[in-house]
Amino acid sequence: MGKAKPEASAPVTGKSVLAAETRRLGRSALLPIALGYGVALCGLAQAWLLARLVAGLLGYPVGGWLDLAGAAALMAAAAGLTALQEIAQSAAGRAARAHLRGVAFGRLLALGPADQRAAGEKATLVVERIEALDGYFSKWMPAAALALAVPCTIILVLLFVDWVSASVLLVMGMLVPIGMAVAGIGAAMASKRQFEALGKLSGRFTDRVRGIPTLVLFNRAGAEADGLARAAEELRARTMKVLRIAFLSSGILELLSAFTLAYLAWRHGALLGNNHPNPVAALWCILLVPAFFQPLRMFSGAYHEAQSARGAATELAPLLAPAPASTGLDLAEVPPRVAVVFSEVVLRYTADRAPALDGLTFSAAAGETLLLAGASGSGKSSALALLLGFRRATGGRVAINGQDVALLKPEELRRISAYIGQKPHIFGGSIFDNIRLAQPEADREAVTAAAQAAQVMQFAADLPQGLDTLVGEGGFGLSGGQAQRVALARAFLRDAPLVLMDEPTASLDPGTEELVLDAIRKLCLGRTAIIATHSAAALRGLPGRVLTLEAGRAAGRRMAGN
Amino acid sequence: MLPAGAWQGIEMIRDLYRVWGLWRARGGWLLIGVAVAVASALSAVALLALAGQGVAQGVALGGGALAILLLRPLMLARPALRWAERMASHEATFRALADTRVWFFRQIAARMPGGLGLTGTGDARGRMVADIEALDGLYLRAVLPALAAASVVAVVALLLGAEPGLAALVAVPLGAALLLPFWLARDASRAANAVAAARGQMNRAALDPLLGLAETLSNQAEHRAAARLAETTAAMHEQERLLARRGAIGGASGFLLGQMAMLGALGWALAHGPGSGLAVLGLFMALAAAETLGLVPRAGTALAAAGAAARRLFALADTQPRVTEPTAPAAMPPGNTLRFEAVGFAWSADRPVFTALDLEWREGERLALLGPSGAGKSSIAAMVLKLAAPQAGRITLGGVDLASLPAESVRARIACLSQDARIFDASIAENLRIAAPEAPDAALWRVLAQVGLDELVRALPEALNTPCGEGGARFSGGQARRIALARALLPATPLLVLDEPTTGLDAETEQAFLETLEVATRGRSVLLITHKLVGVEKPDRVLRLAMGRALPAAG
Repeated sequence: MGKAKPEASAPVTGKSVLAAETRRLGRSALLPIALGYGVALCGLAQAWLLARLVAGLLGYPVGGWLDLAGAAALMAAAAGLTALQEIAQSAAGRAARAHLRGVAFGRLLALGPADQRAAGEKATLVVERIEALDGYFSKWMPAAALALAVPCTIILVLLFVDWVSASVLLVMGMLVPIGMAVAGIGAAMASKRQFEALGKLSGRFTDRVRGIPTLVLFNRAGAEADGLARAAEELRARTMKVLRIAFLSSGILELLSAFTLAYLAWRHGALLGNNHPNPVAALWCILLVPAFFQPLRMFSGAYHEAQSARGAATELAPLLAPAPASTGLDLAEVPPRVAVVFSEVVLRYTADRAPALDGLTFSAAAGETLLLAGASGSGKSSALALLLGFRRATGGRVAINGQDVALLKPEELRRISAYIGQKPHIFGGSIFDNIRLAQPEADREAVTAAAQAAQVMQFAADLPQGLDTLVGEGGFGLSGGQAQRVALARAFLRDAPLVLMDEPTASLDPGTEELVLDAIRKLCLGRTAIIATHSAAALRGLPGRVLTLEAGRAAGRRMAGN
Repeated sequence: MLPAGAWQGIEMIRDLYRVWGLWRARGGWLLIGVAVAVASALSAVALLALAGQGVAQGVALGGGALAILLLRPLMLARPALRWAERMASHEATFRALADTRVWFFRQIAARMPGGLGLTGTGDARGRMVADIEALDGLYLRAVLPALAAASVVAVVALLLGAEPGLAALVAVPLGAALLLPFWLARDASRAANAVAAARGQMNRAALDPLLGLAETLSNQAEHRAAARLAETTAAMHEQERLLARRGAIGGASGFLLGQMAMLGALGWALAHGPGSGLAVLGLFMALAAAETLGLVPRAGTALAAAGAAARRLFALADTQPRVTEPTAPAAMPPGNTLRFEAVGFAWSADRPVFTALDLEWREGERLALLGPSGAGKSSIAAMVLKLAAPQAGRITLGGVDLASLPAESVRARIACLSQDARIFDASIAENLRIAAPEAPDAALWRVLAQVGLDELVRALPEALNTPCGEGGARFSGGQARRIALARALLPATPLLVLDEPTTGLDAETEQAFLETLEVATRGRSVLLITHKLVGVEKPDRVLRLAMGRALPAAG
């Protein structure tokens, strides 16, 4: 595995990731809290006016149209502030997601193939897990701050009015977090399990949807649908376990709220009947009960959002940790010619498997074409991975123009080479865009010339939109051979001094293979080329030295064409 | 005129009605959820109304009122009901959503058996997972709050009925708050559609570079990929911002309407002078109703999001299948000779593959079909397996038109190794058993030996239970291909189609496999589709595809 080195000195947890992002947000995280507090103050004032009005209705000489007008004005102010608060808090959520998504994605690209998780799993991290963080910033943070600030304000104000009511609220308010903490411990543990289930289901679903053609051919689509149903059922069972506890915490809240209301109604109802000294204050206390519990209710509602966000953050933490300073040197300029030397190179992916390269030694002079032959699993692809900076050698030395490649940053190393893999990926977009991937500044002429050189035009000319024909994810509409030629065109456009190829002609018919070999010969001209291949035609048809690998080391040498 | 928004609204209602159709099997759970939600909302109103009434009665009677006594059981019932409401509604939603997921998978398998093609799997995944999750908004955040709030408004109007003026002042704003989502949904639907579309784009911008990680990195495209993701994220966030603004305005409007009901009750009381117990009741009921109704305007946003999700799900699920099942299927013929008779075929109208193809694959024959890429070799395999149907001419199996035979029966008789055969993220054994679920371990080892993988698998610590990783990532390309090949050899079908079986295999393994092919497939009809023969296949007959015709080739 490529994650041998510890990422950072301090352990990075989901919690610290969220805290760091909160600090980064700064003022935009505080704005929704301030606006929410303003709404609460409006409510506090309005409740007093309402209390006066109700007291008036009960026969006391207070309250009038002026109070009603004041209440209406406060209503309008509160409505405006509510809208602004909601807008501000969703903006905070977006700002956090945009930033964190960029960081996580950048990290995944930097890790490259060394992170062996499947592409779908990585995409889930960047898409769904980041989305799951939204609730923390857009809901939980303002809710948590207001759940503390607003009830405290209400208690403080009521202390001057009726200390008994204030004390009842204080006790009840303090019972809320205790109740939620008790429920929350179970919820946190269950939440982790739920995330595992969700990830498993999502991954399994993608995998099976991609394989629908295979499942259909074996009449297994129905059975697989049943399997998905079972997985969904398992997810439901797990999620309900989380929710049972999460909802219990809000049940506790309802119970406390109902009890408080009933107690205050009983207390003040009785007092009012016996000539209450301050009827407005009594009614104010009752009217403030919903206002007191409202922020706590919001907090409780956002509580499991925070739980899911923490779960997601824990999964994301390794990606969101401050990146280790990119070790290695920059490349001053791409050298015009490249010589490659492997000396006693060892590459071990995991401790329990035999090393992929086990003392591989060879050299390729500048301008030379070297053909790596050997059975699958003999280490051909691993040798290329080292030259691409996807892996670092476990032992020995890989040198380019005499310089150890381990000294260069991986991305700098890749500036030297062009690469064509076993199954080249075709990105969603036009064929033209797919070729221009290699050189974004290239003009139409250069791209067309590369397409010509790689024999792409041979099939693209027959397509309805030529080079501008759209090809989907995975290369819809392009056969393996056509995709290979698009990749070859990329290499032409890239014009790098080192060409690395992994089985470039494996899926081509003899006619096309000849065309492509022709193009490869042209590509290799004046460049250093290292080509892993087991195709007899390629070994015959490409000029250059053949080096056969066996169990990660050189087996023997012979000249091509013999 | 009928504005575009209204038309969209009608379409949305139609889509949502279809969703209800999918969920009908869970009707019991869904109704329980509604019943508990209504009871819970009414208990909240009763609690506050009784508290208010208690105070008023306290004034009137001098303490100790009946209303206060009634508060006690409610105090306990209210939290219990609230908890039950949320449990029941979530149970119902999860059950219904699992059904939707599976239904959608079945639809795609039935209608797009050749795969999702241009739509892109990243997008389909985004649709399936995010859209189906958005559908939970339909029940949890739209239907339930709306019904609960409607019951509250009805009860408020009923209780205040003795004073029609007061009832109107309280119930009319509350009723307006109730209708608000329907007015908002039309508008929000467009915004939600835009968010979903932007999210699909973002999803693709994330997945595509990760799928082509080696290409992205080797072309130094990582910064461009990151910029593209940031760009699509920003586009999605812009749409989300518009949606959030709509939601905020909706929320504020709901708040205002609830408050207006409350102030209306007070205004009515001021105008009628003191001593009106009913006005106090009205005030407290409006206060209680505001809590329930506060959720309703957001239901509009939820409704719109669910509508957009439903539209996208159904658009994909309604794709016309390439091959329709016969309405009156014929009996499977005993014979296994496949014959193409003047078959015309094209994947799209402007690119004909065959105009009049004649071809015979006789029972028990090992037929090699040669041709350059693009000559239509895989199209023949697709038609044989009923993934595609000829537009002209006909194909017969044992003399019976293939079009009149059910696809499942045809595929049960013909095993196929396709070019895009997928290795699933499951164990080796599970992957092999996709072809024959009942196969014993011995059979698995036999086919693994035939493709020369038995030694490698035996050496793995978990042997047959070794996970293959997504797309067979745990193994090299050649090894993964051989697992797929072993899978195709596993079922004892009389016919076997091998489409480029040795792609990605090194020369030695290829040679070794093709030499054993004769033994491995003895007694079965084999169609070997390949771009070149290496010389050891020993086919009974060789046909070369060129210019849309199959011509005998010199062996």
